[in-house]
Amino acid sequence: MNAVVVTGLSVRAGGRDLVSDVSLGVESGTWCTIIGPNGAGKTTLVEAVAGLRRIGAGSISLEGRAVGELSERARAKIVSLVPQHPEVPAGMAVREYVALGRTAHHGLLRGASVRDWTVVDGVLRRLALDEFAQRDVVTLSGGERQRMVLGRALAQSTPVMVLDEPITGLDMRHQIELLELLKKEVAQGGLTVLATLHDLTLAGQFADRLVLLDHGRVVLDGRAADVIRSPELSVAYEMALRVVEVDGTDVVVPARTRLDPS
Amino acid sequence: MNLSGRRRVTTVVAVTLAGLAVAVVVGLVVGPTPIGLWRIVGDLFSHVGIGHSTLTPLESTIIWQLRAPRMVLGLLAGAMLAVAGGTYQGVFRNPLADPYLLGVAAGAGLGATVAIVDIGSGTSTPTWTPLLAFAGALGAVAVTWVVGGRGLRATPSTLILAGVAVASLLTSAQTYLQQSSTDSITRVYVWLLGSLGTASWRSVLLVLPYVAVCTVVCVAAGRALDVMSVGEDESRSLGLPVRRVRLLVVAASSLGTAAIVSAVGLIGFVGIIVPHVVRLLVGTSYRRILPISVLAGAAFLVLADTVARTIVAPSELPLGVVTALVGAPVFVLILSVRRPAVR
Repeated sequence: MNAVVVTGLSVRAGGRDLVSDVSLGVESGTWCTIIGPNGAGKTTLVEAVAGLRRIGAGSISLEGRAVGELSERARAKIVSLVPQHPEVPAGMAVREYVALGRTAHHGLLRGASVRDWTVVDGVLRRLALDEFAQRDVVTLSGGERQRMVLGRALAQSTPVMVLDEPITGLDMRHQIELLELLKKEVAQGGLTVLATLHDLTLAGQFADRLVLLDHGRVVLDGRAADVIRSPELSVAYEMALRVVEVDGTDVVVPARTRLDPS
Repeated sequence: MNLSGRRRVTTVVAVTLAGLAVAVVVGLVVGPTPIGLWRIVGDLFSHVGIGHSTLTPLESTIIWQLRAPRMVLGLLAGAMLAVAGGTYQGVFRNPLADPYLLGVAAGAGLGATVAIVDIGSGTSTPTWTPLLAFAGALGAVAVTWVVGGRGLRATPSTLILAGVAVASLLTSAQTYLQQSSTDSITRVYVWLLGSLGTASWRSVLLVLPYVAVCTVVCVAAGRALDVMSVGEDESRSLGLPVRRVRLLVVAASSLGTAAIVSAVGLIGFVGIIVPHVVRLLVGTSYRRILPISVLAGAAFLVLADTVARTIVAPSELPLGVVTALVGAPVFVLILSVRRPAVR
């Protein structure tokens, strides 16, 4: 069954289509990554799936329910978001920040229940954040901070998670670490992931499926290994890309000369 | 929040409550006619049939018809302005926000000036000045809201900018009116600077429902404001109906502020400084800042008013002058001792 179904989606802003006629489905408990050059519409697409964008045409359904018809609270129990540039509110403790993920569960007038805190503390342990639990969020390093944002999304206990460039600004070890944590949630927790990623090698390694977006349209949609090796990829990025196999892993290497558009 | 943090909050609440008690006592006891606290307490008990009052009829009138309503109105005004300021700072995520941000003050000022200058051509401030001030205040916020963001689609920055525009427009109209009539200029100034001098039980009863409802709404919004500290998109993704919450809390803060301003004039500084002092002491969570600001604002304004009405007795200093005179040094002191959260 598909947890995410996007049908003929168009999103307009500032007089132009940021995303046009996009259709894709993400099977429950799998990982789908959107790739594509800057300005291809990746962020718009995932924000629309998270319910944050006004839909121009088409529809998005999550777990069989139309995203536009859900209240903010009902939607937040189905889909969680790890944004590209999360706001880090100074003065808040890490544990309180992760507990923000429980907002939709306990509501605005009641505080987090014992059950909510059990979920929060479970997430903190899973992400090895428990030693930072009482630290001010602004004192964390980039890697720890991004893990904390992932923690907030996991605390939301949603079947679907949307991530927009979750590893931007992290060093290689922390990139892999974060993606491995997420992979574990997909494999063990049955989480459905829709993410955007710039690093094509990592995209190929971690996703079950890749969708190539260019100028707001889906160009390729298929198994990660096939999309990575497709010549369309070089066309979309307007540069020559080579795929080299290193110990069974496809590595995407950019060439320095620009591909002639003719 | 860890244990030491919790202990700090408990301490701050205890000190604030003590300050509130002191403010209530001082507000009743201090004045040109010295009346001891125990005689006032004795009078209170005599009303429920315990013992006999030693107050003369004149003293009783001074306490229960002059000082008590003035003290209570001061509590209400301080509580409302402080909690409204804290709420605005949270909802607009702007440390410079105060309750007058969306034009409440300018609108009320214009309304009051119209009442005093134009229509009230007599020599005293007309009794229905508060009504025009109230209408002006609400009208200004409504215009700001309509101009700034077509109802629910308002964003914080467009609202603030619209507020600045509406406030400057109304202030210039107010200034023009005020300058055009030199014989009432003093009364306009007295009103603008704020005073609890005209307090009565009637004015207390008039503002009480607004203050009660609006304070409850603002304090209850603390949890929502904490969620909103991660920004509009993220708080929506966490399940918060951001726009509806914003409309509700801005409406509550503005309504409460308008009611207070129409009763006591423009008292500055309380709404911006009290929540900041509280924030420096108990941290950034609005679930703590807002309820403590209610108590601290109430205590602060009554103490400031006591200074205003005694320091140059028998005349009075404008309350707005005293709040800044007392509040600014206190704020600077706390700021230098307690650094805001690291950034």
